[in-house]
Amino acid sequence: MGNDLISVVLVGCGAVSRFFYAPSLAALEAGSLLKVEALVDPAPHHIEPLSALFPHAAKAASLEELPLAGRLVVIASPPKFHAKATIYALEKGATVLCEKPMASTVAEAETMVAAAQASGSLLAVGLYKRFFPACEALKGLLEKAPLGRLQRFTIEEGGKFGWQAASDSFFRKSVTPGGILLDIGVHVLDLLLWWLDEPETVRYEDDAMGGQEANCRIDLTYRGGARGEVRLSRDWQTRNEYTFYFERGVVRYKVNEANHLEIKADGMPTLLGGSLHAAAPTADPLRFGGVARSNPQSFIQQICNVAAAMRGREPLRIPGEEGVRSLRLIEQCYSGRQLMPQPWLTPREAEAACRVSKGGVQ
Amino acid sequence: MKIALVGASGFVGTRMLEKWVLEGSYEVVPVVRSFSSLAVMARFELPWQVCNVLDPVALAKAFEGCEVVVHAAIGDPAQIEQMAESIYRAAEAAHVRRIVVLSSASVHGQAPPPATDETSPLHERHAMAYNTAKVRAERILNRLSASGSVEVAMLRPSVVYGPRSRWITDTARQLLDGSACLVGGGKAICNGIYVDNLIQAVELAVTVPQAAGEVFLVGDAELVTWRDFYQRIADALCVGMDTVRSIEPPVFVRPLKERVGAITSLPVTQKILPIIPGKIKRLTKVVLANWQEAPAGNVWALPSAAASCTTTEELSLLQQCEWRLPMRKAQTVLGYQPQVSFDEAMRRSLAWLKFTGHPVPGII
Repeated sequence: MGNDLISVVLVGCGAVSRFFYAPSLAALEAGSLLKVEALVDPAPHHIEPLSALFPHAAKAASLEELPLAGRLVVIASPPKFHAKATIYALEKGATVLCEKPMASTVAEAETMVAAAQASGSLLAVGLYKRFFPACEALKGLLEKAPLGRLQRFTIEEGGKFGWQAASDSFFRKSVTPGGILLDIGVHVLDLLLWWLDEPETVRYEDDAMGGQEANCRIDLTYRGGARGEVRLSRDWQTRNEYTFYFERGVVRYKVNEANHLEIKADGMPTLLGGSLHAAAPTADPLRFGGVARSNPQSFIQQICNVAAAMRGREPLRIPGEEGVRSLRLIEQCYSGRQLMPQPWLTPREAEAACRVSKGGVQ
Repeated sequence: MKIALVGASGFVGTRMLEKWVLEGSYEVVPVVRSFSSLAVMARFELPWQVCNVLDPVALAKAFEGCEVVVHAAIGDPAQIEQMAESIYRAAEAAHVRRIVVLSSASVHGQAPPPATDETSPLHERHAMAYNTAKVRAERILNRLSASGSVEVAMLRPSVVYGPRSRWITDTARQLLDGSACLVGGGKAICNGIYVDNLIQAVELAVTVPQAAGEVFLVGDAELVTWRDFYQRIADALCVGMDTVRSIEPPVFVRPLKERVGAITSLPVTQKILPIIPGKIKRLTKVVLANWQEAPAGNVWALPSAAASCTTTEELSLLQQCEWRLPMRKAQTVLGYQPQVSFDEAMRRSLAWLKFTGHPVPGII
């Protein structure tokens, strides 16, 4: 492929497109890096707000109405529809960037990966937090171990649900089979897999009682003895912190603070908290080359990586195979699921909760 | 019985829904304003309704087939008043038999004078806009039900606490960060009610025929001071009560914007506003936008690890309450006898706090 503008087809014009993909694509279009060619959504009223940003883009109710070969197709519809749209686009010769979770099930995700291999097209998964400088820095700390071996970690993420969902499909188990674990848990587990590889043991519990979980807890152990505890919530305000306890220090990443870390190394009387910076290309290792990427810039960077991969200039950082890994871990969690003890329930309620959570009738 | 629960995603609504669904007490239709409000109730498969609660037509559709509506929705002062009317109109259109309304004991103020009960006259001159809005909402419902077909029963709880309550989480946070304080050492009365006791009162208000047209103060069985309340949480967190400072009642000066807002929202001001020249209105807006409420902090302050004491006007007033609100009427008319003791209520509330991952070393 040459240097012609990459044409983008955005599929699904709900909340994730409105708040993430549309502003990112608009910035990239303004920088003459790509061109949004079409907006696809079965609901015309979802397309309207985005077509104001991309007035030249065609509007379509389905992918079948559009030419796709050589395009970048961004799939941001509800997860239930990811597999079908992705496979169709790949078979038509498009590169696909599929928003997380890449599918509702591992089986679907594996079919998507197989379709990419069969068609020779690129399949990327939208797990943009890997592009956060703080997450990249943590990977370095975990791999190179300047603070010693990791001993344990705690992760708390979530708060009162504030995402402006455009319909209730996000909360209907028939459409979206999981709750908080399948939502922000995908990011958390993807980062953990990227940082620490597969866990040795997984223990999972949540509070779903016939529907989707609003709270969950995962206990993990790793080769080498590290242990971790993950708590996710849509229910109450968590601390929104990832804390890693190394042999010689503690490092904290605050959720969504893409270029910020806090470090307390043994021997330091104070803790160090601040922005991450790109190093300037000089001999001085502490010469600033500017503040590292922000959260929105990391999202844009993810799209840039896919575009660069389409041009053969960079490897794809998060190919479909990587997206399957976190889904596989999620399925492992759900298959071994236990109901969280909810100690404020009366005995009668607790008994009913057990029954309902196992699929029984009240 | 089919019940529509308006405000099913709030703190009280969440627990009410959880209890009613698990106990199979009623066929519940949760009614909320936005899709994002479904996040916690989606733990259950439910026939929820998402609609504008200020729109009587949309609400009436949500209430279809329901015998009773429980109104547990919160909002800003203007919404509190508007919801009273929209919910009543919608209930009437949907042929609902009764609305059970969660009003508030704050209609009497946060520190009501001795002898206050349900017969005490209400006024609309409260310092806190919330209190006045609750008074007005009650009056709107009384006026509408006087000539309408839907019965209204109202409950006036004061400090509702339990799992997910700010009285538990905020107090715990303040105890842990050293910013907790008690007006007058916490000797004042905490007119608390555990959320399950409130739900019990709601259930009675749903079914007892004599509840129609009545209003009831409701609370826990025990007399509890604010110090008692803090003490239970402090013990569970293993924080000494000696870290909780005793303070004099602070003087709260409302921000200028809030004071002007309160004046402009008055009905009389709304009538006058159209005749005020636009130039003056614009100038006022510019002044308000640029008004500096407080001087910048002094950089030469001594370093200190202690967090400054935090309280709010509402909490400060509540901690000056010297009157135990009576619940004789609820006991006599509804047959209300709180089922959950203060000890058990705090145990459950703190168990929830531990469930959230909070360090609560004082409970196993």
